[in-house]
Amino acid sequence: MKGIIMFAPFDLGSIPLTKYLFFTGKGGVGKTSVACAVAVTLADQGKRILLISTDPASNLQDVFDTELDGHGVPIRGVDGLVVANLDPEEAAREYRESVVAPYRGKLPDSAIASMEEQLSGSCTLEIAAFDQFTTFLTNDAINREYDHIIFDTAPTGHTLRMLQLPSAWSSFISESTHGASCLGQLAGLEGKQQMYRHAVGALGDAAATTLVLVSRPDAAPLKEADRSSAELRELGIRNQILIINAVLENPTDAVSGKLHAKQQAALRDMPQQLAKIRTYAIPLVPYTILGLDAVRAFLSGTRPEQPAAMEHPERTRTLGDLVADLHATGKKVIFTMGKGGVGKTTIAASIALGLARKGAKVHLTSTDPASDLQTILKNPANITLSRIDEKEELDRYRKEVLDTAMQVMSKDDVAYIEEDLRSPCTQEIAVFRAFAEIVEKAGEEIVIIDTAPTGHTLLLLDATQSHHKEVQRTKGIIPPSVRNLLPRLRDPRQTEVVIVTLPEATPVFEAERLQADLRRAGIHTQWWVVNQCFSLLETDSPILRHRAAAEAGWINRVNALSAGHTATIPWMHDTPVTRLLDTL
Amino acid sequence: MAKMSIYDPALCCATGICGPGVDPELLRVATMIGQLQAQGVECERFNLAQQPQQFIANPVVSAALERDGAEILPLTLVDGKVIKSRAYPTNEEFISWTGARKVLMPL
Repeated sequence: MKGIIMFAPFDLGSIPLTKYLFFTGKGGVGKTSVACAVAVTLADQGKRILLISTDPASNLQDVFDTELDGHGVPIRGVDGLVVANLDPEEAAREYRESVVAPYRGKLPDSAIASMEEQLSGSCTLEIAAFDQFTTFLTNDAINREYDHIIFDTAPTGHTLRMLQLPSAWSSFISESTHGASCLGQLAGLEGKQQMYRHAVGALGDAAATTLVLVSRPDAAPLKEADRSSAELRELGIRNQILIINAVLENPTDAVSGKLHAKQQAALRDMPQQLAKIRTYAIPLVPYTILGLDAVRAFLSGTRPEQPAAMEHPERTRTLGDLVADLHATGKKVIFTMGKGGVGKTTIAASIALGLARKGAKVHLTSTDPASDLQTILKNPANITLSRIDEKEELDRYRKEVLDTAMQVMSKDDVAYIEEDLRSPCTQEIAVFRAFAEIVEKAGEEIVIIDTAPTGHTLLLLDATQSHHKEVQRTKGIIPPSVRNLLPRLRDPRQTEVVIVTLPEATPVFEAERLQADLRRAGIHTQWWVVNQCFSLLETDSPILRHRAAAEAGWINRVNALSAGHTATIPWMHDTPVTRLLDTL
Repeated sequence: MAKMSIYDPALCCATGICGPGVDPELLRVATMIGQLQAQGVECERFNLAQQPQQFIANPVVSAALERDGAEILPLTLVDGKVIKSRAYPTNEEFISWTGARKVLMPL
């Protein structure tokens, strides 16, 4: 019998707190719940707290049941707590308007329209969100007003990019010599170098900033936390703590025993570097962190007044039904989308396997930097695997641009282009093009894309749309893959977006917003998968039964939303791609 | 030597490499202007997305935009007079209009 791994409880009274607290972790680990609970607990102690989300798919509004904006809204029922939700889309809109408004009526409409279009790309989105974020970090008045400023940051890839931006852009702005670079369009940012330097300084100051890594006791999010930890340490953010959320403490039957064993195994195999960080644990709770009662109960170990939902889930479909339908309708491009951590990769792999078994040729790919398809599927027949690696794509794109440049430019002048290629926007473009190329392969083979978490996916789709407009205008050489992309994604006979969620409030709310965004982009969705359902298992564990009872409402909600096209999958203690299909 | 002013349409960046495809035309123009400037030729360039104020400040450009809309861009002025619209100058035009020495660049 191996010893049980235990950590100190996460008790705010015994942890030294810095002015700025940054929360990070793989989607679905409870990052928002922990950030909210910390914010409310500190405010209840009489501290003045500002809580900010930089996640484009944030659910802070759901947690506090309050309409939020990018500037800060006081929360009713919690004295001293102000919450802001930085929506990159909204930030970009405000930024665009601030640039364009002075010229309305002074320039013809066609000129205004082309300015607006140019300020709608992914560059503007990133820059505008970053600008808002930095303001909170460096504004003296805001800093005087609050004792602690808590950032519930975006899921991994996006967070890292955002946090990397201050140093990347400070050097970019100061080193850029010809002044006509990508950032030049952001006239409003000129003269802000000082602010960015200040932001970088605050992030690296251990007395000012703590990075709070949040994980579940599960291999994938622990690996992710280790990656973030290392990357941010390299960027100078060394003051880090780790919180393990949802630790099951007292197993009472077979199912809870398996869950406990799985958690303990993951904690024993925790990456070495991560294990050196000060670590705290929060026990698994049987309720959803929505509403102030639940937020307050979360860290105090008490139980909120919540009626146990005793609904029963309606009859749903299986993953086998889903695969049969995709096969029968001859879909060529299949996406799995949803919040990080809901099991998109496993579902994508299962769908690939199911279709391959029916004789289809399948290409399975991922844009998720944390994806590990190779370890999930081992040399399956009829399936080819690939991964969109951001760094590789960037190098490939740089080389392509430089090769084109070499044909029309002298060698010395190519240096001029290299400057523009250092711009942060170039990465988005490079990934976008790789994505288009893979979709282009669909035809003979079915292309299945296991996309990155929601926020990043939205940016990618947004890029697709703004580029679509640009494609119609620009005289540049556009690869056919890029030209064909959006029409193809909008064709429901070819494309299916499978939305993956868990039977819990946050993932369902976020999936609903994702569905709305897809509709806005003209992309059709039909099938939903509700993954990791405890309600499909027999368990006597009181805590798991509680969770199972709470699932029914969410499963029924998804079933109604999808008009019966919902496949449910039971919680499993390992990642059994083959078993997932076989047992259903 | 004559002074050249180029008024670009709304561009993400002067080289256009932020777009979905590389436009060799923008690369050529960016390089050409760089080479002229290196020779001491007065050659300025304004991007509608970045410097709209410059489009309003110049009455000739402002009037052309008012009359024909943004499709008139790119607009090239030499010593304040419109010399070309809807397309960038060719390399030969760049050289003859500014009186620059022939520059080392494949045409």
